[in-house]
Amino acid sequence: MVLEKKWSKFISWFLSKPKTTGLFVFICLSFVIGYIVYQQYRIIKEDERREMHNTLQNVHQNIEQSLKNCYTTTLTLALTINDKGIPENFDYIGKQLVDTNSNISAVELVPKGVIKYIYPLEGNEAAMNLNLFATSYLKKEALKSIATKKMYFAGPFELKQGGIGIVGRFPVFQNNKFWGFSAVVIRLESLLKSSGINNINDSKYYFQLSKKNPINSKEVFYLPNKSDFSKKYNISVTIPDGDWKLYLISKHRNYLYYQILIPAILGFILAAFFGFVINSLLKKPKELQLLVHSQATKLLNSELKYKSIFDQAAVGIAYIDSYSGSFLEINKQYCNLLGYNEQEMKERNFQSVTHFDDLEEDLMNLEKLKLGEIREYSMEKRYLTKKNTIIWTKLTVSPLWDINEKPTTHIAIVEDISLRKEAEELIKKSEIRYKNLFDDSPLALWEEDYSAVKKYLLELNLINENPEIATSFLEKHPEIVQKCFSLVNIINVNNQCLIQFAPKTKSQLLRNTDFIFEKEIPSYFIKHLVAICQGNNHLNIDAQMKNAEGEIREIHLVYSVVKGYEDTLEKVIISTEDVTERKSAEKNIINTQHRLEALINTIDGIVWECNPTTLSFTFISKKMEEILGYTSAEWLENPNFWADHIYQDDREWTINYCALKTNQNLNHDFEYRMIAKNGSIVWLRDIVNVVMENGKAVSLRGIMIDITKTKEAEKELNDSFNLVTEQNKRLLNFSYIVSHNLRSHTSNISSIMDLIELSESEQERDEMIQLLKSISNSLNETMLHLNDVINIRTNIGLVSEPLNLNEYIDTAQNVLTEQITLNDVSITTDIPKTVMVNYNPAYLESILYNIISNSIRYRHPDRKPAIAIKWLIENDLNVLQISDNGVGIDLIKNADKIFGMYKTFSNNSDAKGIGLFITKNQIDAMGGNITVESEPNIGTTFKIYIQ
Amino acid sequence: MRKKTIWVVDDDTIYQIIVNKIIQKSEMFSTISSFKNGKDAINAVSNSLNNIESFPDIILLDINMPIMDGWEFMEELQVLKPSINKQIIVYIVSSSIAVEDKNKAKSYPDILGYLSKPVNINDLILIASND
Repeated sequence: MVLEKKWSKFISWFLSKPKTTGLFVFICLSFVIGYIVYQQYRIIKEDERREMHNTLQNVHQNIEQSLKNCYTTTLTLALTINDKGIPENFDYIGKQLVDTNSNISAVELVPKGVIKYIYPLEGNEAAMNLNLFATSYLKKEALKSIATKKMYFAGPFELKQGGIGIVGRFPVFQNNKFWGFSAVVIRLESLLKSSGINNINDSKYYFQLSKKNPINSKEVFYLPNKSDFSKKYNISVTIPDGDWKLYLISKHRNYLYYQILIPAILGFILAAFFGFVINSLLKKPKELQLLVHSQATKLLNSELKYKSIFDQAAVGIAYIDSYSGSFLEINKQYCNLLGYNEQEMKERNFQSVTHFDDLEEDLMNLEKLKLGEIREYSMEKRYLTKKNTIIWTKLTVSPLWDINEKPTTHIAIVEDISLRKEAEELIKKSEIRYKNLFDDSPLALWEEDYSAVKKYLLELNLINENPEIATSFLEKHPEIVQKCFSLVNIINVNNQCLIQFAPKTKSQLLRNTDFIFEKEIPSYFIKHLVAICQGNNHLNIDAQMKNAEGEIREIHLVYSVVKGYEDTLEKVIISTEDVTERKSAEKNIINTQHRLEALINTIDGIVWECNPTTLSFTFISKKMEEILGYTSAEWLENPNFWADHIYQDDREWTINYCALKTNQNLNHDFEYRMIAKNGSIVWLRDIVNVVMENGKAVSLRGIMIDITKTKEAEKELNDSFNLVTEQNKRLLNFSYIVSHNLRSHTSNISSIMDLIELSESEQERDEMIQLLKSISNSLNETMLHLNDVINIRTNIGLVSEPLNLNEYIDTAQNVLTEQITLNDVSITTDIPKTVMVNYNPAYLESILYNIISNSIRYRHPDRKPAIAIKWLIENDLNVLQISDNGVGIDLIKNADKIFGMYKTFSNNSDAKGIGLFITKNQIDAMGGNITVESEPNIGTTFKIYIQ
Repeated sequence: MRKKTIWVVDDDTIYQIIVNKIIQKSEMFSTISSFKNGKDAINAVSNSLNNIESFPDIILLDINMPIMDGWEFMEELQVLKPSINKQIIVYIVSSSIAVEDKNKAKSYPDILGYLSKPVNINDLILIASND
């Protein structure tokens, strides 16, 4: 098995590489051819060699023969030599020898090496008496023959007789003594001829005869074609008898090559051809193999594609056996659709999962398919899933057998159309619902066709025309409007419509609406037409129509173009709603509203409503204009109007208070000032109501009442009250002081009286009487003071005159001259000479005197007293300022005492506590005021405010 | 009975003379000190702290006085009270008949009574014997 495999692998490897194989084959065959050729060559060579050998042998034999003959000849010749050494019958023997041996050209006897006897003499005379030993070139050889005592063939050399020949010398020894030679002369040509050399085919080889030259030991060649043949193939044989070498040299080796080459070439060509054939032969399988491979890959790919399509398809695909109906192959989607897994599906057939109602049709179709009547069919059918639910699918079946073939299997493709079916159901339902809605709607609905109207309007060039122009045009041409109206085509009306307008029959209504409008074109229609011209697809118009009882009713008409028909207006829906009641209710409401507004505006207060969080007002009554001068519009525009226009001082408090109360959801009532448009300040009393809804404050409502007059009156009252209280207090104070002072004096008097009564001596009594005197004086003084004060208080005969201030200051200074010089007081006056005051002269005098004398009295002991009198204007009031550098007053302790009556706080004995009291009273009486600023040890400043 | 020391705090010089006379006539008091105003009186109180004997048994206090009046004196006295190891007896003597003054006097625990001027001997005897 393994071997087979290996073998097949091996083979297939080969098969897959035709070129290599071809080449390989070619090489193999080449080798084979080469080998054969080589063998051939060798054979040929062998043949040749053998031939040559044979030939050579032949020749050699012949030559040997010849030589042998010569030997015999020489021997015979030698035998002729008698004992004396003289050859007998030489000529006769010689002749016979020569005749017998055609080769021999001459025989010789060479006693002692000198050729003496030659037969045939003719022609060979030259050789006579040739001393071999004398001749150099002959000597050696001759000697050689002697030495070997054998026959030695000398030559080939130039014969004395001429020509080339060989001489075979046989050394004759007589009595072991060298006699001479018996020689035979053979002409080379005859030798050669006898050898048969010349018969040899020239074409193939040639002979060469060589002899080593005895003299120079060089090889001498005696035959033609003496070229060097050492390179050529040659065989040689040695003829020792003459030291000859006989070469047989092959000629024209080329022919040898031809003999080999051509077959070789042929062979190679054949081999190549064969290799090529193999190559092409093998190529085919290889190509086939490749083709197969590629086809296989393609097949695999398509298989894969198919598999993936089959598996991943969004539709169910199945292979079904056309006879049994069972599922052969089934894809995932199919299984999912039916809820079974693959295994379960394969156990079933399609009939078992088909809904009963569809099964018949399905089977019928399949029959037709099997019979070949149809090539495919599709239908919508229901399947029963594993869970026993029904799914709607679209089934497409196509056969897998060719036309006129027997049915085998078919493909079923199922597409889940349950959603579509559901949608269809829904559409149907909604269609029904729509119909119901339309028919049973409580609103009267008309389905109409306005296409003709639109076309007509288009003709009139009213489409997209300026609405005013269109309106005026239509108003001027009622007949056009009439025509338009008649072009309106009613498609359908609903039940309510019939009830509302009660035509005799539906068709009557559909035909025309004359009985509703009574040939009178409704006025709204022009508006409608203009709207159509403008391309409005929705319209709300109020119109009047007659109802079933013949009453004119207010109708609210809604015109709406059905989507998709905006261009043509072929389908529009108009609803007519009887709004008569509503309209009258509306009218009532409006009336009521107006009445309410009028009412509100008559209220003597600003009725308002605002948002509780933002404090932006939503309603302000007209009274606003009267009270504050702003218009409602101004107010409502600015969301912060209210806050912005509250009087500055009250703003923070007001807003905080309002917010606080609002957060607590408490109704509140507060007063504050606002700035009117003309800048005046208006006091308002704001009564605020928090409006609750679901526990939350949704708005604030209230009324602002102008209480300025009241407030002013209040203020005046307050002022007078304050004044009165003040006066009262002062009076009280005054009375108290008066009583106290008077009492102290009177009590003293009473005590003294007692003491006088109890006195024990005259002296004592006198003492007492003295005391009494002083008391009486004090009492007097007090009375005087009181008089002054009362006088001032009652303001009797208070006369004011314009007085020059500087004059009066000078007067006061004059009065105090003594004090001034005594204490070295410097008084500086910084008052313009022209200043005039409207004052009571006596008062002015008194005031100036008092204050200046105070300044002098309370001078600082450590420094020179300086008084500065200035005239200032402070806050639109005239101020006379008198400041000194005296001991100062501790205002923290004594502020309330300083202008009090009989209130002293210094140890100054002159201080009665009444001066400043009177001064203050006088100033108050003149309608001014006096203030004091002081720092202990620094000085005091009095400021008198004069009106 | 030991004779008591008495201080008269009043700014009216004539009254001072009169009251002096009356006190002498009563023969109930050993020492009489006069002060023209509250300030002088409180200074004297401060001085008397180390010598408690010098602190008076009775003080006759006027209300209306310059620099420091009667009520201010009382306030100052309250401040110094902890350092005084003697019982303080103060009588307000004033020409004022104002109800407010009388009520105010009641608010001070050290003021035992309110006398209206003129003061006579009998009042003094009463004060002196009131222990």
